[in-house]
Amino acid sequence: MKPAPFELHRPSDTALAARMTGGGDGTIKPVAGGQSLGPMLNLRLTRPAGLVDITALPGLTDLRETATHVEIGAAVTHARIEDGACPEPIAGMLRHVAGGIAYRAVRNRGTIGGSLCHADPAADWITALTALGASVVATGGTGTTREIPMTEFMLGAYRTALRPDEIATAIRIPRHSPGARWGYHKICRKVGEFADAIAAFVADPQTRVCRAVFGSTGGAPLVSPVLAAHAARTGTPADLAMVKAELGRSGLSLGAVKIHQLAVAHRRAVAEALSDG
Amino acid sequence: MAETIRLTVNGEACTATVPARTQLAEVLRDHLDLTGTHLACEQGVCGACTVMVNGRPVRSCITYAHSCDGAVIETIEGHRGDPVMDRLRDAFSRHHALQCGFCTPGMLATARDIVARFDAPDEATIRHELSGNLCRCTGYVGIVNAIRDVIDQRAADAGGAARPAPAEPVGRPAFTPFEPVAPDPAPARAAAATSGPRVTEEDGATVVRRDFALAHPPEAVWALFSDPRRVAPCIPGATLDSIDGDRFEGAVEIRFGPIRARFGGQGSFLNDDSRREGAITGRGDDKLGKSRVQGDLRYAIEPGTDAGTSRARIELRFEIEGMLAQFNRPELVAGFVDYILGQFAANCDAVLAGGDAAPSRGVSALAMLWAVLKAWTRRR
Repeated sequence: MKPAPFELHRPSDTALAARMTGGGDGTIKPVAGGQSLGPMLNLRLTRPAGLVDITALPGLTDLRETATHVEIGAAVTHARIEDGACPEPIAGMLRHVAGGIAYRAVRNRGTIGGSLCHADPAADWITALTALGASVVATGGTGTTREIPMTEFMLGAYRTALRPDEIATAIRIPRHSPGARWGYHKICRKVGEFADAIAAFVADPQTRVCRAVFGSTGGAPLVSPVLAAHAARTGTPADLAMVKAELGRSGLSLGAVKIHQLAVAHRRAVAEALSDG
Repeated sequence: MAETIRLTVNGEACTATVPARTQLAEVLRDHLDLTGTHLACEQGVCGACTVMVNGRPVRSCITYAHSCDGAVIETIEGHRGDPVMDRLRDAFSRHHALQCGFCTPGMLATARDIVARFDAPDEATIRHELSGNLCRCTGYVGIVNAIRDVIDQRAADAGGAARPAPAEPVGRPAFTPFEPVAPDPAPARAAAATSGPRVTEEDGATVVRRDFALAHPPEAVWALFSDPRRVAPCIPGATLDSIDGDRFEGAVEIRFGPIRARFGGQGSFLNDDSRREGAITGRGDDKLGKSRVQGDLRYAIEPGTDAGTSRARIELRFEIEGMLAQFNRPELVAGFVDYILGQFAANCDAVLAGGDAAPSRGVSALAMLWAVLKAWTRRR
């Protein structure tokens, strides 16, 4: 089906783009690749009055590196990251995550910032970047910017901490030390489909930072300091019963099958990260 | 509204004057008569519409023509003078990689990309990369064999030994366990009202069960719940148009992320004052979105754990048809229900305390569920 009619804006000024989206009472949506929004538009589940294409904004397709961080423009495509165009904040993890998103034809247009702001609970970047301790750089309608840590960015399914007149412009990822380990495992019924369960694990012995994160839980990713600490201290994943007990205590509405899938994904991600092979 | 874009399609410069909502596939098929690009799912899942844009495969059903202004596009009618595509076409014929041919234009675009990006992919890699292109008649054996054949031909051209030896596994320094630094403070997370799954599929319907606390005594809460005129404004996004006996007409508007829907409909309600239990049955249509929903909501009010408080138990059972049904996914429902019920409970408490419900922002319990729930049964 054809989307309902909309106006397409392609501003070249970030603050102006932010004011455009803020002025529409939710009827004007920013779009940065449209690979999630596009199907919703075609199904007419969403009927915005206008779209603001942010891919032409200055700096949004840039990849930058500082002494402490890697900064990825919000409109950088998954495929560019998959192909290794991006500096690596931790060896290999971004490429691995990017290459597992949907299909190549989708990755050629879908963007890292678009995926984060769409905030689908089953999306890969939401979970992976939480495990990496990343933050989202947002620019408001007055041109001021602020940084939102990933742990505070996603509020629930399709809800983020962005204000109506804010646009995510970049993602900042702290650089990990060369000995840092990571694991990322997702369980999908079919390659490229929405994941049933996602687990990400990052452990950096040098900075002693360690994070275990669960995705596709129905809302914001679940961070488990208890399971992260267990893996860091023992060098092995917690046993299945312990992971399930932790998930049961999370306060989330998770069925037995979902808990099992998440627990298996976590154990595989940790084992993959900590194996010496 | 319509603006002119310039494209280079199969080597020829062309223009199209189309409105913003026009997809690339539409320009190719309807304006340039290149009907070899096929449209099926129109939601980026099936891969039939895959074409090359600036040398990369993209879904032309979810790529707006205006975002391709200035781009170089190759469709199945093109690829002239491309020896790889010539070999692929030939191999598809020899390996019987198509019967009806519907998926073939997209398959060939993806196949061209696989050959370009991988030196010596094994069968598992080829199948993995092909997973975004669905074939519903031939099966994938012939398609995979055709792609391998072309890759083998390239290897033979290069002297036969193009396949690199598998990389030796590289050992890495042993992991040294460590005591982690204190984690980032986790943001406060609202405790769930009840534990365990509260969204299930029963007899083809989606069933949501929840309970939540209210800071007022059961008599007062029941008086609110049993009066449709008073309780309706507490439901985010709901409006009540008319009541006639036990019948009502109204609407509920949902906003869930980018999703907007407005279900207008009618139903009936039945309240048992002695047991403080009731039920609402209704059905509605979202005319713009071409979706239909029907269901019932049962509720019961009990004394809460503290004197002067109540506990509301609800059970919502619904079925949805149409566009929304293609989309919904149950794992999204639980979080949304908690969000909505939080607003609903706050509104009820505010009204019971003599105030007003917060102005409706058009978010509703009775509807997002439909939005995100059911497609999974249909899609999987």
